[in-house]
Amino acid sequence: MSETVALTAQGVSKAYGSRTAVAAADLTLRRGKITCLLGPSGCGKSTLLRLIAGLEVPDTGEIEADGRRLSWAGGAVAPEDRGIGLVFQDYALFPHMTALQNVAFGLRKLPGRQRRDRAQAMLEAVQLGTRGGAWPHALSGGEQQRVALARALARAPQILLLDEPFSGLDAHLKGEVRLSLTEALRAAGATVLVVTHDAREALLMADDLVLMHGGRIIQAGAPRACYLDPVSPDAARLLGEVNLIPGQVRAGLAHTPFGTVPATSCADGPAVVMVRPEGLRLAEAGAPAHVAQVRFGGGYHEVQLKADGQQAHAHVAGAVPETGQTVTVRIAPDLARVFPAEA
Amino acid sequence: MVAILPLAGVVAAALTGETAAIPARDIARYAATSAVLAALVAVATGALGSLAAWLVVMHRFPGRDIFAWALALPLAAPAFAVAYAYADLFDVAGDLRMWMRAALGFDLPFEMRTIPGAAFVLTCAFYPYVYLAMRAAFVNQSAHALEAARALGCTPAQAFLRVAMPLARPALAAGVALAVMETLADYGAVQFLSVQTLTTGVVRAWFVFGSLTSAAQFALPLLGAAALLLWIERWGRGGRGYESANARWRPLPVTTLSRPAGLMAGLFCLTLITLGLLLPAAWLVIAFLPVSPDWPRLIEAGGNSLTLAAAGAVVTVALATALALGAARVPHLARLASLGYATPGAVMAIGLLVPAAFVWRLAPGAAQGFGAGLIMLIYAYAARLMAAALEPIDAGLSRVTPSMVQAARTLGRSPSGAAWSVQLPIARGALLTAGLVVFIDILKELPATLILRPFNFDTLAVIADNYARDERLAQAGWPALLIVLIALPAVIWLTRKIAASRPGAPA
Repeated sequence: MSETVALTAQGVSKAYGSRTAVAAADLTLRRGKITCLLGPSGCGKSTLLRLIAGLEVPDTGEIEADGRRLSWAGGAVAPEDRGIGLVFQDYALFPHMTALQNVAFGLRKLPGRQRRDRAQAMLEAVQLGTRGGAWPHALSGGEQQRVALARALARAPQILLLDEPFSGLDAHLKGEVRLSLTEALRAAGATVLVVTHDAREALLMADDLVLMHGGRIIQAGAPRACYLDPVSPDAARLLGEVNLIPGQVRAGLAHTPFGTVPATSCADGPAVVMVRPEGLRLAEAGAPAHVAQVRFGGGYHEVQLKADGQQAHAHVAGAVPETGQTVTVRIAPDLARVFPAEA
Repeated sequence: MVAILPLAGVVAAALTGETAAIPARDIARYAATSAVLAALVAVATGALGSLAAWLVVMHRFPGRDIFAWALALPLAAPAFAVAYAYADLFDVAGDLRMWMRAALGFDLPFEMRTIPGAAFVLTCAFYPYVYLAMRAAFVNQSAHALEAARALGCTPAQAFLRVAMPLARPALAAGVALAVMETLADYGAVQFLSVQTLTTGVVRAWFVFGSLTSAAQFALPLLGAAALLLWIERWGRGGRGYESANARWRPLPVTTLSRPAGLMAGLFCLTLITLGLLLPAAWLVIAFLPVSPDWPRLIEAGGNSLTLAAAGAVVTVALATALALGAARVPHLARLASLGYATPGAVMAIGLLVPAAFVWRLAPGAAQGFGAGLIMLIYAYAARLMAAALEPIDAGLSRVTPSMVQAARTLGRSPSGAAWSVQLPIARGALLTAGLVVFIDILKELPATLILRPFNFDTLAVIADNYARDERLAQAGWPALLIVLIALPAVIWLTRKIAASRPGAPA
C-alpha cells in the first residue's frame, strides 16, 4: 500500500435479506484528505460507512488500512480495535456525562490527570473550552456536533468518519458549521470520510468525491471533474440540477431543439444531452425557444423554456426575458455532456 | 428458561400422577369460585379505577395533585392485611356490629366471609392496577382527539364515553387483567375469609394431603387462566397503535370542577384511598397495637423479609437486565418470561418442586437444607416477577439509542464495556424502579413463600398467616402492619415518580 493511501475497500458487498445495500464497492481514502461520499438517501452510503467502522460485517470483499486487514467476507476486527473514529448523525452524545466527560470517554488508557487535560485541549480546539461542564441537552445543535467531533478526534484516530454532519442543522448554520468543521479537520490532519446527501456541501468540502447510487459507486474523482464530466445521467443528477434533453448525434454533433453540442465520442443515433441550468444561455443567435415561466430565485432567475415539445430550464443572471416571449438560446459546450440514449 | 421450568413442572406433575387424586367435581367447584370472584373484582376495579383516573387526569378539584399519586398507595398493603382488618371490623360478634344492633336496632346486611366480601377486600387492594394503567392511557392520549370530539358537538361526558374510553380500552384490558391475575394468585386474603379458590386448593393439597399431583391438578386451570390473561394483557399493549406517537405533546384540556362537584370528586378519591389503605391500616393499629407482640419472633421475621426481598430484587433485576440487554438478539425470550408474571406464586412453587424432587432423587442431600431452600425461593420470585422488572428496565434502556452504544464501541469499549459504561448508567433510575417493584411484591408474597421456605424460616407474611390461621388475629396485626410500613416509602417513591412523568418531559 502506498504512502498516500490510508484505507482501501475492495469489492465490498452487504445485503439485508434480499435487499442489497452495498454492491461490490471499491473505495480509496487518501491520507490526510477529505473524501465525500455523496448519494441519495437509501443508496447504501451509510451502510458503507458502518462497514468501514466495523459496525457491520461485509458479505464479500475486504477492507484494509495500513497493510492491516480490517474486514473480510463474514468477519471483521471489532470496532473498538480498528483505530477508526465515527461521528454519528445524531451525535450520540452520552446524556449522563458532561461535555468534558464525553470527550474523555475514549481516553481510558491515559491516567486521570492527563486524560482531563487532553479532553480539555480537544474541547478548546473546537472553541468549546468553557463549556466542558455543560450537559449535552444544554448545548445547541452545532455545539453538540463539535463535542462529538472532539470526542472522536481525542483518540487521534487514523481515519475519521462523519455520517451526515449537516443534516441536523438549520440551513443558515450549515455554511458556518461547514467552515469550522473543515478547519478543525484540516488542523487535525486526519484522513476523513464524510457521508452526505447534500451535493453543495460535498462539492465545497471534498478533496475527493465519491458518488454512490443504488448500492454502487458510480464515479470517483476531484469534485470539479465529477461536476463537469459526469459518467452518466445518474452521476450528473447527484451533483445538482440538470436538464436531460433527448437529441440525435450526426457526424460528431448532437442536435437538440435548444442547440447543438460537440459529441466526438458518441456514435451516430439517439442520445441524451446533459446540460446544467447555468449552461443553457440566452444568446444573440441560436435556437428559438418559448419562455413558459420566469421565477425569481435569488442570485438568478429560473426560466422555463419550451422548444419543439421539449422542456428545459435555465438559470439566467442579467437581462431577464418575460413570460410568453420567444428567445434564442445556445448550450455552453463546457457545461454539457452527451450520453448515448439509454436502451 | 427461568420461567418455563416450573410451568413445565406443573403440567408434567398434573398429567403423570395418579388420576384419582382429587375428583374433577371438586376442582370444578374451586374453579367456579375463582371465576365468580375474578369477575366481580374485574367489574369493580375496572369501574372504580377508570373513574378515578379520568377524574384526576382531566379535572381540577381540591387535592387532585395529591390524589394523583396517593390513589396508588394501597399497593403497599398486602391483600391479607386488608382482609384481617375488614373481617375484624365487620365481625358479626365485633364491637361495631354489637353497637349498631344495640344503638340503631338493625344489623348490616352483609358478611365479610363470603364471596362478595372477598371481592370487596380484593377490589380495595387491587384497584390501583387499573387506576395506574388508565391514568397512563389518559395522560398519553391526544388532546387533539378530545378537542376534535368537542368541536364535533360532544359534551365533555360524551367525549369521555365516545372517544377517550374507546381509545383507552386496551389499557383497561391490561389493568383489569393485572387485577384479575392478582385475584387468582391471592392466597392470604381468601384463605382467611374462607373462600375456596383454586389457589387455596393448591396450597391445601400440598400441606394437607402432601400430594404434589393434587396440587398440580388445582394449578393446571390456573395456568390456563394465566395464559389467557397474559394474552389479554399483551393485546392491550399491542393496542398502543391507536396512539399517535409523533403527535406533539400539548397540555390536555383540563376542566375545573365547580365547588360541589369538586368536593364530590375529592370525596370519591378519598373514599378509595380510605377503603384501600387508611381504614384497614388504622383499624389494625387501633385494634391490635395494644396487643404486645412476640418481639424476638417478629424482629427475626422482619429481618428475614427484608433480606429475602432485597436479595430477590437484586437477583431479579440482574437477570432481567441481562435479558433486556440480550433481548435485541432473541426477542421472544422476553415474551416467555412474562408468562411467569401471570402465574400465581403457588403454582410457580408447586412447579419448582417437581424438578427439585428430581434433583433430590438423583443426588440426595445436594439440593436440600437451608441454603437450597432459599435459592429455590428466590428462583420462584425471580421467575414470577421477571416480567414486572423487565418492563421498566426495557423502558429505561430504550432511552439509549443504538448509536450511543455504537459510539462507545468506536471509542474503544467492548460490547460489555459499552453496556457497563453507557447503557446501565443511563438506565440507572429504571433499575431502581424495577428493584423496588420486585421488593414490594416479595414483601407481600405469601403462597410461594409458604410452600418453598426452609423449615423454621419465617417472614412477616408467613407469621401473619400463621397467627391468623390459629385464630390469633390480634397477633397477626403487627406483622401485617410492619409490611405496610416497610413497603409504604417504596410505594410512595414509585407512585410519585409515575405521577410526575409526562410525555414530552425527560423521564
